[in-house]
Amino acid sequence: MITSLPAELRAPMPAELRGLPRDGARLCVVDRAQRRITHTHVSDIGRHLRRGDLLVVNSSRTIPAALNGERAGGSRVQVRPWVRRPSSWDVIAVSPLPPHAPVPLHEGEVLHFPGGFVARVAHRRDDLPSLWRLERVSGDGFASLLSSGEPIRYSYASAGVSIEHLQTVFADHPGSAETPSAGRHLTWQLLLGLRHRGIDVVDIVLHTGLSSTQDDDIDATHPLVEEWFSIPASAVRRINAAQRVVAVGTSVVRALETAVDATTGRVSACEGWTSLRIGRTTALRACHGLFSGLHEANGSHLDVVGAFLDRPLLEAAYAECLTRRYLWHEFGDAMLVT
Amino acid sequence: MAITGASRGLGRALALALAREGASLALCARGEADLEAAADAARRYGGTVVALSADVGSPPDIERFAATALAQLGRVDVLINNASDLGPTPLPFLSDAPSEGLQRVLDVNVIGAFRMTQALIGGMLMRGSGLVLNITSDAAVEGYPGWGLYGASKAALEALTRSWNAELEGSGVRLIAIDPGDMNTAMHRAADPEADPASLRNPDDVAAAMVELLVGGFSGAGRVGVSL
Repeated sequence: MITSLPAELRAPMPAELRGLPRDGARLCVVDRAQRRITHTHVSDIGRHLRRGDLLVVNSSRTIPAALNGERAGGSRVQVRPWVRRPSSWDVIAVSPLPPHAPVPLHEGEVLHFPGGFVARVAHRRDDLPSLWRLERVSGDGFASLLSSGEPIRYSYASAGVSIEHLQTVFADHPGSAETPSAGRHLTWQLLLGLRHRGIDVVDIVLHTGLSSTQDDDIDATHPLVEEWFSIPASAVRRINAAQRVVAVGTSVVRALETAVDATTGRVSACEGWTSLRIGRTTALRACHGLFSGLHEANGSHLDVVGAFLDRPLLEAAYAECLTRRYLWHEFGDAMLVT
Repeated sequence: MAITGASRGLGRALALALAREGASLALCARGEADLEAAADAARRYGGTVVALSADVGSPPDIERFAATALAQLGRVDVLINNASDLGPTPLPFLSDAPSEGLQRVLDVNVIGAFRMTQALIGGMLMRGSGLVLNITSDAAVEGYPGWGLYGASKAALEALTRSWNAELEGSGVRLIAIDPGDMNTAMHRAADPEADPASLRNPDDVAAAMVELLVGGFSGAGRVGVSL
């Protein structure tokens, strides 16, 4: 497996800001039945799908999820909510300045945020001490995020990428801390054309948490935190009627495999929190294919790809992508597993 | 439903007329006091009314308004791009107009409406149903002294409407450029202070007629006028 990715293969900005069409990224297609790896572009994805296939996308909208607040002594701290419940958030606390190193909070201290949102630090989470439980004292934290938050950007991403460029073209349910990025590649020109050919698209919602605690040692342990998802009845009918369900993004896999009945293989309408961990030994019941970006070796996203591909095929596909100088991460190139 | 420029004139009249029909509304405008007053008036009909001070000429404001509208209403099926900037007043001849005036008019009337539509049309396309109403003007198709900046922006908005509709044929989502006619509003008074108010349409009457069209499902697409 790729253990160190050359820096120049981390895409700093999305395709449409690199002089390509939005759906112009490269696409590695892995046909599991034929054990064949081919290369094309996202705009040609229809040639690798057939009538009766269903693309399931995540229509969660990215919110500006880094919020600077003031501590009792007047110093500033940035919080990034990983889990947002109505009256409490689980956040990582970091310096407002790059590289945003973790900042320890004190139990009981009160934080003041723009827009009148005030929260009290309750305690660290037992299962993941990088996360602090904030309890709402007054104000509306979600409104504060929307009015004063900044989108979360990692060091390889260009500062010029505005939140407008983080959104998918179907982003409709605000709540993700990080862009459900596989769907960013898709365009309505492409999707309406696929629908016309009997390859439908339907949306579910999963509000993504964070992919980094800003502490490399902790990140190396693949911490996985619960995420809120919703699968509406209208989507379920089409998901259960589809010949092949192609999940667009690992978040869709997490939601659908949470909602599937292990015996019947049928998905039910539901919403709530999922803590499902998907890995190479997971038996997939709801998803028959995956459209995803390219992920680094030390993350839970790659574990999801590993549930679709056996190790030799996964390694062969990633090795080809590396040789062909594909770009990695949320603004990079893509892979379709069928 | 989302309405931009909802604090005064046609936008306010549309908000009230749609609230009376039971619509859930998200309203924005720059002027917070006028917007809150319009929202309070709309709330008297008992429905959900979300009001947010926002400038359609500002991309962060568009994201904030769209996200708030989607989060609080759950979905937006109808967008009315009503917010418009007239440009410098008294209306200058094009030979004399500052180019910054054209920039602002285009930022609000064209790019703002374009961004707002992009932010909200995705859900409509996914569901296969929705409507975007772009408020236009006969200045988009006729040449009137002084109305060149505004007219250029509305002509551009109508061109976007036409192409967008052509792209979305069969999708269940339509865009309509709607010309409300000359109305007795603060904007019209700023543009033409000499006009006899009796010769102008009442924005409440225009809003009522537009609501009739909306309730009737708007059989057409493209550019339409409003008959009273």
